[in-house]
Amino acid sequence: MSNTEIAIRGRGVACAHALSGVMLFHLRRFICCALFGLLVVAAAHAGENAVVDFNRDIRPILSENCFSCHGPDEKKRKAKLRLDVRDIAVSVRESVQAVKPKDLDGSELWRRITTKDEDDLMPPSDSNKKLTAPQIAMLRRWILEGAEYKGHWSFEPPIKSGLPKISDKRWVKNDIDYFIAAKLADKKMKPEPEAAKETLIRRVTFDLTGLPPTPEEVDAFLADKKSDAYEKLVDRLLQSPRYGEQQARYWLDAVRYGDTHGLHLDNERSMWPYRDWVVNALNENMPFDQFTVWQIAGDLLPDATREQKVASGYNRCNITTSEGGAIDDEFYVRYAIDRTETTAINWMGLTAGCAVCHDHKFDPISQKEFYSLYSIFNNNNEKAMDGGIALTPPMLKLPSAEQEKQLAEFDQQIAGVKKEMDAAVANLDYKDPGPHELEKVTEPREIIFFEDEIPVGAKAVKIGGTSELELVTTNTGKVFSGAKAIKRSATGVAQDVFENSMQPLIVGNGDKLFAHIFIDPANPPKAIMLQFKTTDWNYRANWGDEEAIPYGEKGSEKKLMMGPLPKAGEWVRLEVETDKLAMKDGLRINGVAFTQHGGTIFWDKAGAMTQLVQKDRSAESQWAWEAHQRAEGAGGLPTEITTLIKKNSTNDVDEKALKNYYIKNVFSGGRIVLEPLNAKLKTLQDKRNELEKQIPGTLVSQEMEKPRGAYILRRGEYDQRGEEVQPGVPKFLPPLPADEKTNRLSFAKWLVAPNHPLTSRVIVNRYWQQFFGTGLVKSAEDFGSQGEWPSHPELLDWLAIHFMESGWNVKAFQKLLVSSAAYRQDSRVTEKKYEIDPENRLVSRGPRFRLDAEQIRDNALFVGGILEEKMGGRPVRPYQPEGIWEAVAYTKSDTANYKQDHGDALYRRSLYTLWKRTAAPASMTTFDAPSREKYCVRRERTDTPLQALVTMNDIQFVEAARHLGERMIQQSQNLDQRLEFGFRLVTARRPSTSEKSILKQALQKHLTKYESDPDSAGKLIAVGESPANKNLKSSELAAYTMVASLLLNLDETLNKN
Amino acid sequence: MNPFQEHLHLLSRRHFFKSTGLAVGRIALAGLMLPEVVRASSSKIAAQAHPSLPGLPHFAPKAKRLIYLFMNGGPSQMDLLDYKPGMRKSFDADLPESIRMGQRLTTMTSGQSRFPIAPSKYEFKQYGKSGTWFSELLKNTAQVADEMAVIKSVHTEAINHDPAVTYIQTGRQIPGNASLGSWLSYGLGSECDNLPAFVVMTPSWSAKRDAQALYQRLWGSGFLPTKHAGVSLRAKGDPVLFIKDPPGVDSRTRRDMLDALAQLNLLEHKKIGDPEINTRISQYEMAFRMQSSVPDLTDISKESKATLELYGPEATTPGTFSHSALMARRLAERGVRCIEIFHREWDHHTDLPRDLPLQCRDVDRASYGLITDLKNRGMLDETLVVWGGEFGRTVYCQGKLTKEDYGRDHHPRCFSMWMAGGGIKGGMTYGETDDFSYNVVKDPVHISEINATILHCLGIDHRKLTFKFQGLDQRLTGVEERDVVKGILS
Repeated sequence: MSNTEIAIRGRGVACAHALSGVMLFHLRRFICCALFGLLVVAAAHAGENAVVDFNRDIRPILSENCFSCHGPDEKKRKAKLRLDVRDIAVSVRESVQAVKPKDLDGSELWRRITTKDEDDLMPPSDSNKKLTAPQIAMLRRWILEGAEYKGHWSFEPPIKSGLPKISDKRWVKNDIDYFIAAKLADKKMKPEPEAAKETLIRRVTFDLTGLPPTPEEVDAFLADKKSDAYEKLVDRLLQSPRYGEQQARYWLDAVRYGDTHGLHLDNERSMWPYRDWVVNALNENMPFDQFTVWQIAGDLLPDATREQKVASGYNRCNITTSEGGAIDDEFYVRYAIDRTETTAINWMGLTAGCAVCHDHKFDPISQKEFYSLYSIFNNNNEKAMDGGIALTPPMLKLPSAEQEKQLAEFDQQIAGVKKEMDAAVANLDYKDPGPHELEKVTEPREIIFFEDEIPVGAKAVKIGGTSELELVTTNTGKVFSGAKAIKRSATGVAQDVFENSMQPLIVGNGDKLFAHIFIDPANPPKAIMLQFKTTDWNYRANWGDEEAIPYGEKGSEKKLMMGPLPKAGEWVRLEVETDKLAMKDGLRINGVAFTQHGGTIFWDKAGAMTQLVQKDRSAESQWAWEAHQRAEGAGGLPTEITTLIKKNSTNDVDEKALKNYYIKNVFSGGRIVLEPLNAKLKTLQDKRNELEKQIPGTLVSQEMEKPRGAYILRRGEYDQRGEEVQPGVPKFLPPLPADEKTNRLSFAKWLVAPNHPLTSRVIVNRYWQQFFGTGLVKSAEDFGSQGEWPSHPELLDWLAIHFMESGWNVKAFQKLLVSSAAYRQDSRVTEKKYEIDPENRLVSRGPRFRLDAEQIRDNALFVGGILEEKMGGRPVRPYQPEGIWEAVAYTKSDTANYKQDHGDALYRRSLYTLWKRTAAPASMTTFDAPSREKYCVRRERTDTPLQALVTMNDIQFVEAARHLGERMIQQSQNLDQRLEFGFRLVTARRPSTSEKSILKQALQKHLTKYESDPDSAGKLIAVGESPANKNLKSSELAAYTMVASLLLNLDETLNKN
Repeated sequence: MNPFQEHLHLLSRRHFFKSTGLAVGRIALAGLMLPEVVRASSSKIAAQAHPSLPGLPHFAPKAKRLIYLFMNGGPSQMDLLDYKPGMRKSFDADLPESIRMGQRLTTMTSGQSRFPIAPSKYEFKQYGKSGTWFSELLKNTAQVADEMAVIKSVHTEAINHDPAVTYIQTGRQIPGNASLGSWLSYGLGSECDNLPAFVVMTPSWSAKRDAQALYQRLWGSGFLPTKHAGVSLRAKGDPVLFIKDPPGVDSRTRRDMLDALAQLNLLEHKKIGDPEINTRISQYEMAFRMQSSVPDLTDISKESKATLELYGPEATTPGTFSHSALMARRLAERGVRCIEIFHREWDHHTDLPRDLPLQCRDVDRASYGLITDLKNRGMLDETLVVWGGEFGRTVYCQGKLTKEDYGRDHHPRCFSMWMAGGGIKGGMTYGETDDFSYNVVKDPVHISEINATILHCLGIDHRKLTFKFQGLDQRLTGVEERDVVKGILS
């Protein structure tokens, strides 16, 4: 999700308004005092008495309403006025001063925002912006208080302030709570007490592992009355391998990880080793700075390890194309922009993509600076077209230790065999019998290529037509000679093709090729064609309608027209001279195709009238072999041999190489000796190839030897190159180290350097968002001028510094978050509290919001007891309604048809579901999972009827419900205990009496229904591929399935509470 | 979130809290006829759950809804709508360089040594009082010529499918942005409480060739809340994903389950107080209503023979364009805001005369049927119907050229679309191209201006329908100055 404007061509970018610059300041000044009076009433954040804070109160107003014309974008700047820089804002130019501190009358800005003159009013009406009364009042206070400026808060280094003073410390669990409590006290609010233990364990277990606690775990926690019970729980969860699987999801959203390329064909991409690396790195609690460097530049680290290279796949997660017609340069640009933009958002909360076409409108990133940043990401040694293959280079194969061993063994054996071959060749005494002309007999005679049987070694292929190859006898059709002929009926173009015969026909000057046909007079064709193959198929003789058979360029030798169709109802001999087909002497025909457009035809005996001796002398004479290869254009040989033959070199080295090849591969004497060795070699090589195919791989980064170079692209268009730029970072941020080469590595280290104002803030804010639902900065993707002011700025800074000081210790940090009293609060809300704090930005209660898509599915599988907890590996294809891929995919895509997996693969965690980016898994996207075409650092959280349909009707959920129902039945003989067990599985708590009675009533209704309707019961419990337990009564199981489905659909189940 | 919407959201939540949530909770405890209460109150809320934004429509709309017939792949304008009789005499002549002006080509033809002109082999005639030209391939659509404005001067910048189709449907060439239909849903809200506001169909096509891909992003919501994304009405399997109860679960059983669910959720609401719980209850009720309204929607047994005939013989075959067009009318009747039909395989690089007629046969009669049917029911005035693809095709031939057989590459510099119904002046042609249907020579219309015009017909000022994302006021028509095509408005 971005606002990049690449490759959008046309006229100039719209300007928000068109007042001419200088004129603006010559306009008559005019102050509207009456309006002034009205506005004083209004006030916003700052409160009546508090001092105006530029960053909190003023910058958002200026940024939203003024900066697009009076901000960082130099090209669009009006009247040369900048309101984002104080020196310019307060300067007097042409006797006009935009902002005169402490003087409203002297401030043109004040006049222009309060004037009644429509032409003078700012922001201009055509900008669709309008200042509100409180905003105008705020600007007024600011000017009167001296119009102080501050640097944008997030671009200044964070400051770790002392803990706020609070009066009542009983609620506090750790340092975070001081900040939360102080703010609540400001607003005259009180936090909530700690949530019930059942709620708490469910909340934190979901947050840290993505799955719910088991009743046993709940019991253990309830029974643990020690003061460190919660801490022990958190430690246990942080050690669980499920932790990495849960945390990885957020990261994979941010880095737009997918299992397909994403554009056009959207073929499968092998990227999952990177996904597994992320999971492992998180489980091993890799410090975040290292996590960063490995991903952005793992490949550039000295002696990069395999893991570091896999991590560098981060830069390869962007969508790519292989669309026919696409222009390489355009896509190199798109990829580098995508990488730059994603990295800027993900680590720095900067919407750098805005500067693709022009200077950033709100933040101090010039277009040139954008392309300097881009330059760092523009040197991947890749092709613009992904080729539609799973492993688009640069890529890394990842053999296991065992596979590596096997490969080495094969290589050793192969080397051994080759040595043996060399020795055998060295022992051979070969002398070329010398040049020979093609031998001729005195009279031409027929050499048969096709008669009754398919030519030796040839493969019969049928193209077009309606049926397979049909050989008829005199009983079933017409036969010219021998016992059989081919019969072919067709509506359009149809061909019977025989190719790669091992006994080729050698042709010479003056030879004629022939075949016999019998056209059914009741159903004549439009046209017929005889086609011959040597190294290619470019020899065609046609009879009949020139247009009917569309092969070969008209008027050329490649489409020789022989005249009208031969007479129908009798056998006719078709003949064509090899000269007319432009066949060179010595060419060997190894294939023939009988072609027709429509009609019914019998084809029989085909071959050549030739004087040549049909003897292939290649096996005896290197000269003959070379001559033949030259005539046929040397097909099927290794390139270097082809080149040598063409070169006809007399150089010793070349001659030796050619001879060596000849003896090993062609010479009959050599072949006899080498055949068994060749066979051995082939077996080994086949086995090695087979093994190679099994070895997974992943896309990695690799720097080009010579950088691609980067230019300012005018209006972001790939072919509009301006000034060349060098790699670098925006000036408002700390400089890159001067003594290091500027590349991805120095950039990555710079991101996590202690003086970087953004990275730590951005990351801790996202962790906060993960656990509390909304970040301290709500706009997690934008920490710039247009981003939102933090709800707790001091806390954000405190956390950012704390995180860095801890050595970027992620688990320790998350433990801090979940250990706070703020996190552990009860989430109930009174009407009054809701009025004041509807979004819980003040953290006046515990976090409560809908679980993510993956958690909802995984939870159902888990409580149903069918979750398959195998970690890692290739993505899987669980249940998916038919037709979802087919409805959109390019028909040639390898992800055009969804082939569902079976068995365990159906029950893996959702993290492992194959993510096709142009048609993401339906039950996931319905719950706001992103398509992964672009980065996403903050998911939507919507509530729609389509979601209810998923959890009620999707096979996956119905099957899970049946298993949950089965678990309930098997838990106990006692109805109450069964219901209680089911309820505890989904909510972690015991149901109240009224809840239980509602469940009982529901169960009773379903039982009545299914006892009277066993058919329906049978159908319901048959949903899903796992078989229903045969020991259970189907009506009872069906009724429990419905109750279990009800439990899975409870609001409480779908929420973290 | 847009401040307007935020405000609205808050209002409705507060309202909910006061008027229904807590009150219903109390009633629940008293053990009254609970499910009915829930249903009554939640349906009221559901109807409000998706209203228009405050201030929208910006002005009185001419059309209430949009039906977009999208021909994915790029139909050939000079074989269908942009009549160039003069070209016949230039058969196989080289396209003059003065026309081509070195403009960029796809890599599929940029290597060609010649650019020979391939005149259309199809006959054109004038139709209607307006005398609008149509190819013989669209002779049925041509019958309603007087209802439509044919625009011959549409242009774009993208030259390949993925970027081009993403561009015309979402306003940008790269993924991640909100689609046209999702903007309409977001801005104008939903008029019905038992069907989604934005419905998409992807029927089959007759030229059984490899068809260019579609992407869910074409009806996705991008940065807008996901509830505005288009919902597929499918021909295979469930018409709406997961709409059918599982085997063995009938409507009564579902109702029983939902009643118990609502009771339990209300108890939870009583305890927790979060208004979102009530939203969830109402969403489950709407899901239940959808479960009955979708079968009603897809049951065409009550359509008269005369109506079915309008759409052609395939009207009763689910999965065809014709059936989809009929569904579009039925969806329109039920208050669905935006209906898009994506018909594939219009990418005729070669063998155009083999494939184009098949494709036209799919859509020609049905387009006529749709417009006539809407008109007969008095709905055409309030329904905007749009027909077109993502770009046009070249006058010069790709591959083999004969008088009877040719192919055409992608062409972004001009192509034709038509619009009909609410807000559109019927019986007119807008814009002109040069003799080679290569460059626009009069009244150019950028694809974003098509979108601006669509929004205009629905009462939206495209400059004002914005959504704050990444600090910017995002809009469908992008940052450049774009105008409504006033010349085609009624």
